[in-house]
Amino acid sequence: MNPPLSTSDSVTNGSLALAELRRGQSAVVTGLIDTAAIDTGRGSGDSLIARLRDIGFVPGARCEVVARMWLGGDPIAVRIGGSTFALRRAEAAAVRVQLAREPAIATEALTPRASVAAA
Amino acid sequence: MDALVESRPLRIALVGVPNCGKTALFNRLTGGRQKVANYPGVTVERREGERATADGRGLRVLDLPGTYSLNPTTLDEAITRDVLLGRLAGSAAPDLVVCVVDAVHLPIGLRLALEVKRLGLPMVLALNRMDVAKRRGVGIDIARLSTELGVAVVPTVAVRRGGADALIELLEPARWSNTRSAPPVWRQTTAEDAEQMQGDLRGLLAVTGFSAPRISPWIARIDALLLNPFAGLAILLAVLFVMFQAVFSWAAAPMDWIKNGMAALGAYTTAHLPHGPVASLLSEGVIAGAGTVLVFLPQIVILFFFILALEDSGYLPRAAYLLDRFMGSVGLSGRAFIPLLSSHACAIPGIMATRTIPNWRDRLTTIMIAPLMTCSARLPVYGLLIAALIPARHIGPFNLQGLVIFGLYAAGILSGLLVALFLKQFGGKRQYSPLMLELPDFQWPHAGNLLLGLWERVKIFVSRVGGIILALMIVLWFLSTYPMPPPGATGPAIQYSFAGKLGALLQHVFAPIGFNWQISIALVPGLAAREVAVGALGTVYAMSASGNDVSTQLEPVIAGSWSLATGCSLLAWYVFAPQCLSTLAVVKRETNSWRYPLIMATYLFALAYIAAFVTFRVMS
Repeated sequence: MNPPLSTSDSVTNGSLALAELRRGQSAVVTGLIDTAAIDTGRGSGDSLIARLRDIGFVPGARCEVVARMWLGGDPIAVRIGGSTFALRRAEAAAVRVQLAREPAIATEALTPRASVAAA
Repeated sequence: MDALVESRPLRIALVGVPNCGKTALFNRLTGGRQKVANYPGVTVERREGERATADGRGLRVLDLPGTYSLNPTTLDEAITRDVLLGRLAGSAAPDLVVCVVDAVHLPIGLRLALEVKRLGLPMVLALNRMDVAKRRGVGIDIARLSTELGVAVVPTVAVRRGGADALIELLEPARWSNTRSAPPVWRQTTAEDAEQMQGDLRGLLAVTGFSAPRISPWIARIDALLLNPFAGLAILLAVLFVMFQAVFSWAAAPMDWIKNGMAALGAYTTAHLPHGPVASLLSEGVIAGAGTVLVFLPQIVILFFFILALEDSGYLPRAAYLLDRFMGSVGLSGRAFIPLLSSHACAIPGIMATRTIPNWRDRLTTIMIAPLMTCSARLPVYGLLIAALIPARHIGPFNLQGLVIFGLYAAGILSGLLVALFLKQFGGKRQYSPLMLELPDFQWPHAGNLLLGLWERVKIFVSRVGGIILALMIVLWFLSTYPMPPPGATGPAIQYSFAGKLGALLQHVFAPIGFNWQISIALVPGLAAREVAVGALGTVYAMSASGNDVSTQLEPVIAGSWSLATGCSLLAWYVFAPQCLSTLAVVKRETNSWRYPLIMATYLFALAYIAAFVTFRVMS
């Protein structure tokens, strides 16, 4: 059985939901939380969180919002670990992030190798 | 005992995340020699191929469905896990697992590789797209990765000839014969497992010197445009428009060749066989039946060419992204876009394409509305009725006949969306199903994979559909020919047959919607396939020509004897009516039950009757 999903302050304090980021903003993932929108009480929230983790949304990973659709960003396109994923608002709401200063994507040369090894 | 074990082929399974180039590698290894079937009891494709080896043992390569994790969220992914564990009936765990990892997207692929490694099966890592990785500034220390991971790692460039040589060298059966120690072990990944694997992953990435790939600023700009809510949707509409135009204009000539070919074959048969039931069965039942299927092949080939090219290029998931919210408002997933698009050529491949929709309810809804998309089989009917009854006038810059066709297409799509909305209301509380769709990097579609994919679709269509339609055509030919008219009978022969008697009965049902007895009879053989109605009408009006000639002869007859109301009523009927038993047969296969095809037939016939009734009453 998985331990209860973290909603502690260490994850949510001072952080945003990925869903709130604007286009072009990059951020560092601080954690994943279960949200009311995706939890139907049948454990599907767990598998969604696990899948978000599997595709790279882990603490310390850098991501960038590449595109947002109308009406509050449903879905958004996020670049993570070199891959791009389309996430619905409800899924992106489960990812807590902290805004980063430099862009996560290297359009020239430099790359966030350090951040992958850290954390 | 050992000698026996030694001589059987080495069984290899290819595993990887979606879009890692696994299928291209599979094609490279098996040279396109593959067998596609289904896994026992489920509608998941099982793709197996073979390769000869120097020692004569050979390889059997299984291309497993792509998955992001061995903790499955869809049926496909569960199959991948079960095959690796040897849980599926009739197959033991593979002798060797080749984990295909896209070098450009190393983290996500390597994470899966770590999970697969935990199973304890002999494993090899194929680092694919190393050429692209180099171009994008990704350096990977392969030797170091191999040491740290503890498995052999070889670079591959699946799309290049010879690009898999290093892998092939590694796959000599003799090397792997005695390496299996224990059966594979697996348990659901816990949060601790996940954290540990993440730690291992970070370590590996650091040690091998992986850095995130550079993105060409041009590609980034194009992507920004394609994903922009306004420009993106405009571009999508333009792409669709070009696609449909191409489908109709490019397919016209080949369709005529096939029609003429079939007509010639039919004439040859009639000329060279003694007059009688055999000749009739062959020319009108078999050849006309096969011809009916084959005539649509060019449209299907062209449509799928576009769909496969768009898919290979990475565009289609972006279309699903753009449409997801809109489709969500009627209870569909953005992933329903491709099946519904394919349904405009033919609902059958469209319904089969719904396998990519993980949520069962979404999938079912998509299947239920697929037949409402204006498939190419409706076009001969629409074409005949519009030519006969709608004047060739112009309204402003638009051709009235063209407008009617466009209106019929729009009616199909609109009614599909409304039905989906209706089903959404009655669906009850829905479990949330995520989108989480990967938008792959853009790439130029690869011709080899495209052609192979196209060939596969063609084979599936011709063999499965052709089988059913052909069988049905023969049955209906029989019903339309026997009993033969008594000597001295006037009127078309078909009136005396079973089909004729059935049509006479149906006339009572169809009178309120304006169908005359000729239409009522023609709808009976018209159940085999929509386009059959044209030929059937020809038979009923005792036309003796075939193919295009029937249409041109029928036009004036219809124009002269049908009211506009009757014609429009028949058009409305055809927007909805499931005059295609093959579609219902495929629904039965894909849903594994009789219930859904029955529900589909019932609701579609009901809608058809209501639409025809309303149209007829309003117009008369």
